[in-house]
Amino acid sequence: MTGETTAALLATTSGGYLLVLAIMLPLIGTIAIVLLGGQRAERVALVVAPLGLVIAAAILASVWSSGQPLVYIVGGWRPPLGLALRSDGISAVMIAITAIVMCATVLFARGQFRGPAPGVEGRAQMVFWSLLLAVWGALNAVFLGDDLFNLYVALELLTFGAVPLVCLDGRAETLSAALRYLLFALMGSVLYLLGVALIYGAYGTLDIVLLAGVVRSEPVIWVAVALMTVGLIAKTALFPLHLWLPNAHAGAPAAASAILSALVVKGSFFLILRLWFDVMPGQIHLPAQILGFLGAGAILLGSVLALRQARLKLLIAYSTIAQIGYLFLLFPLAVGSGIASPFASIAWTAGLLQLASHAFAKAAMFMAAGMIYEALGHDRIDRLGGAGRVVPIAVFAFAIGGLSLMGLPPSGGFSAKWMLLQASVGEGQWWWIIVITLGGLLAAGYIFRVISPTLIQPFPAPELKAVVPVSRQGVALALALFAVLLGFVPLEPWPLLQIGRTAVEAHLP
Amino acid sequence: MTGGSLLLVLSLAFPLVLLLGALSRDLRQHLPRILPYAPVPALATALFASGATFALPDWPLRLTLELDAPGAILLGVAALLWIVAGVAAQGYLRGRSDAGRFSVWWLTTLVGSMGVFIAADLPSFYLLFSMVSLAAYGLVVFDDTPSTRRAGRVYVALAVLGEAFLLLAFVLLSTATADNSLMIRDVVGNLAQSPWRDLTIGLIILGFGIKMGLVPFHVWMPLAYTAAPIPAVAVMSGAAVKAGVIGMIRFLPFDSASSGWGTALVVVGLFSAFYGVAIGITQKNPKTVLAYSSVSQMGVIATVFGMGLSSGDRGVMLGGAFYAAHHILVKGGLFLAIGAAASVGSRRLWPVLLPAAIIALGIGGLPLTGGALAKLAVKDTLGYGLVGTLGALSAAGSTLLMLHFLTCLQAVPIEPKMVRPSSRSALSMVLSPVAPWLAIALAAILVPWVLYLSVLGGSVADALKPYALWSSIWPMLIGGALWSALQRWGNRLPLVPRGDILVFFGAVKPASARCSAAFEQADDYLRRWPVAGLSLLILAVAFGIATFALR
Repeated sequence: MTGETTAALLATTSGGYLLVLAIMLPLIGTIAIVLLGGQRAERVALVVAPLGLVIAAAILASVWSSGQPLVYIVGGWRPPLGLALRSDGISAVMIAITAIVMCATVLFARGQFRGPAPGVEGRAQMVFWSLLLAVWGALNAVFLGDDLFNLYVALELLTFGAVPLVCLDGRAETLSAALRYLLFALMGSVLYLLGVALIYGAYGTLDIVLLAGVVRSEPVIWVAVALMTVGLIAKTALFPLHLWLPNAHAGAPAAASAILSALVVKGSFFLILRLWFDVMPGQIHLPAQILGFLGAGAILLGSVLALRQARLKLLIAYSTIAQIGYLFLLFPLAVGSGIASPFASIAWTAGLLQLASHAFAKAAMFMAAGMIYEALGHDRIDRLGGAGRVVPIAVFAFAIGGLSLMGLPPSGGFSAKWMLLQASVGEGQWWWIIVITLGGLLAAGYIFRVISPTLIQPFPAPELKAVVPVSRQGVALALALFAVLLGFVPLEPWPLLQIGRTAVEAHLP
Repeated sequence: MTGGSLLLVLSLAFPLVLLLGALSRDLRQHLPRILPYAPVPALATALFASGATFALPDWPLRLTLELDAPGAILLGVAALLWIVAGVAAQGYLRGRSDAGRFSVWWLTTLVGSMGVFIAADLPSFYLLFSMVSLAAYGLVVFDDTPSTRRAGRVYVALAVLGEAFLLLAFVLLSTATADNSLMIRDVVGNLAQSPWRDLTIGLIILGFGIKMGLVPFHVWMPLAYTAAPIPAVAVMSGAAVKAGVIGMIRFLPFDSASSGWGTALVVVGLFSAFYGVAIGITQKNPKTVLAYSSVSQMGVIATVFGMGLSSGDRGVMLGGAFYAAHHILVKGGLFLAIGAAASVGSRRLWPVLLPAAIIALGIGGLPLTGGALAKLAVKDTLGYGLVGTLGALSAAGSTLLMLHFLTCLQAVPIEPKMVRPSSRSALSMVLSPVAPWLAIALAAILVPWVLYLSVLGGSVADALKPYALWSSIWPMLIGGALWSALQRWGNRLPLVPRGDILVFFGAVKPASARCSAAFEQADDYLRRWPVAGLSLLILAVAFGIATFALR
């Protein structure tokens, strides 16, 4: 590695300030809410959300059009002394997905956390909106961070933002779910931090770009990466470390569940990607296979358990466990049998497509489940009859999202599954094909369990507990349609995802 | 864009636009009135746009449509059935508050049913095939009862299983094609060189075999066809099931002989042909009898494709399509006849029964009917050896089954709905199910002749040769003799439950319940704190060792 290439990789590019804005804007929003009080919280969020979307779009457009990553050197101090923010193609995509889901959630959650009477300040109102924006800022920091310790801070912010969202209603059972989540996430954090310390001690830097050039295959990095991976897996709720997810995601209010399932678990997943593909040197076949097998276990266990749930939100939560499993098939398939660059492989694109379409579909489904609950006063699957009559658009949104999970065309889920299968065939790794197919069949089963009773019109019609405005149902439908739109991308590797990654690749021995 | 391409697009776009209209609750109420017009562009396409192609650029939409001869035959005849059944559906839906919902499922199934005949690339075909398969679920369970729900569950389970097989087959097809082409023509042309050739063919046969109801995947057919309302089952049994037929035509590599899979398909097909008859004669409900007849007839078509596959004969594509086209009209028509019989009552049954007798016996090969022509078209393919003889004997079985159907038809009770007083005249009430039936019966006799003379290039003289006549008469005589035996000793036949071997799946149920309960226990166990903590440690060690091992 020469000094000039590093310099080129780590110098503020034009437009680099966008990265700072992407992180700071939601956090400023959080502070503003704390200062202004819960009464104005919703209004602050309604201002921040569209701005955040514009910034995300600008980052994506800039990376896409220039074909170069965006970089910002904080305070003008270059790593290893200073900190860098860096947006390559995949970061830009993640930021865009986050912005879209966040905006939809803000619209969906409008008026949901108001105080008991006008003029009375609700605690939930302030907590929800400030944490929502904090989670947004933390996610963007995770996607843009280029420094492992910086990423640790972002990860902690993400956890501390996400955990209280679980127990907003303050019931005993959600409190215990949140506590579980907190303890396990903290265990994950400790392991991650341990790994970071080992790496810093061995190499004197934590910058990912710099590290890629200096790490050697030696015990210290094996131990460090193993610890960090397991820590991150615990936060992602990959099988068999998924103990906290079902109750946490099912217990949270619908708007929060949408964010937790669609985005928060993807933050730690993203860091596992960074770790294995950007930091780890050389061959990673065996660990990649282990990650793949854990993913396969998640697919089977999550899907079967989803089939057995009696309540809709728990079904969706277990389905999240299964869908997270698909993401981890990316590792064995992208590492593959020696394609020049894993980022150019079809599995890499399939994994990201799965991530994006699951984010949209799952957020839409949790929102729909929330509205079904509001309208019927319960979410017991065997008594969903007539839901199609009282909240038709929400049920439609659930069905559309479900089609994407099942992998029916046209949807991002279908394209992702198609390319994952293609990668498995191409790599000769037949065992994943069986898992993917079984997962699809089981998904069809649990989606069908929900859809088929909603089509029936029972007599007498179910009592309507609350009127759900069409606009909120429309938000869920719009998100589900995003998942459908992803089905129209070409079934081949996206060049966008490779931007800024071949440069890192070039440092590898 | 040429007129032909425009028609191709319209045959899908027009029903799709109607579906978009269904998003508005007000428009949805009026949808039933338009149902018969929805397939008109498809019919026009089949008549006037032969050989036309249409392609959208690769991004953002992948859609390529093409119309070849087998596709055109099936598209045109299926569209005809959809039009007539649409008229019958109007009568069925009159005064029902849920008519709009029915129309939505109807139109979605229609788009898929028309689309599979003209789709030219893999993703579009898969999408349209999913539409025709899955949307028909809404039609099966339209009358909500426990038995239709069960039928719907079985139907969906097998449809989804078939889709899974097809998805794998399609992925193998496209991966084996070097330039990543997704055109059906390219990937199937390349199949001979594919390293996964046999696996792919097997998956294709499984996937489309489920759709065609080949034994042992036929169990959905008797259940779904008995559950669905008459107009819906007419299009399902006539048109929708041909998605499997066009699938075999499009995806089996008839260019290169593959005797193993060909023989397998012949065996399965012939077995289905006789099995359908054997179970069918034990049934009393005319809808169920017709369903088993479909199992039998699809078995004959599979046999034809199997022979073509083992000898590498492309001719079976056209012959099979012609045989299937005849089946579209006859089977769709006979289901409409059940509705017509229920509306007129036993005293005025003959205007229903007589045409029903003619076209039903056509399935057995009655001379001068379309059925005789269909048998003639595949006669050379089946050959004159063992398969040919068994094929002829299956015609005897079909005759027997159809005579049994006609017996059951006379016992159809009058629908109470039809007796109730209404502002409309009694004549129009009677006419509404009868007229579409008579129209389709006429088409079932005339259309095969037109197709035989024009598209297949046959001649009247060929069809009337004494040898040809005799070869279709003798199986009928056997069938007739068997029927008189059935009349006499039929009550000794065992009562086979609808969906026959489905009862054995009852034995699997506890096992699968145990299996999924085991998953739940595993989940409970893994989610305990000590266990999760231990997993964390084990994984950390495992990753450390794994990285070390690959130094």
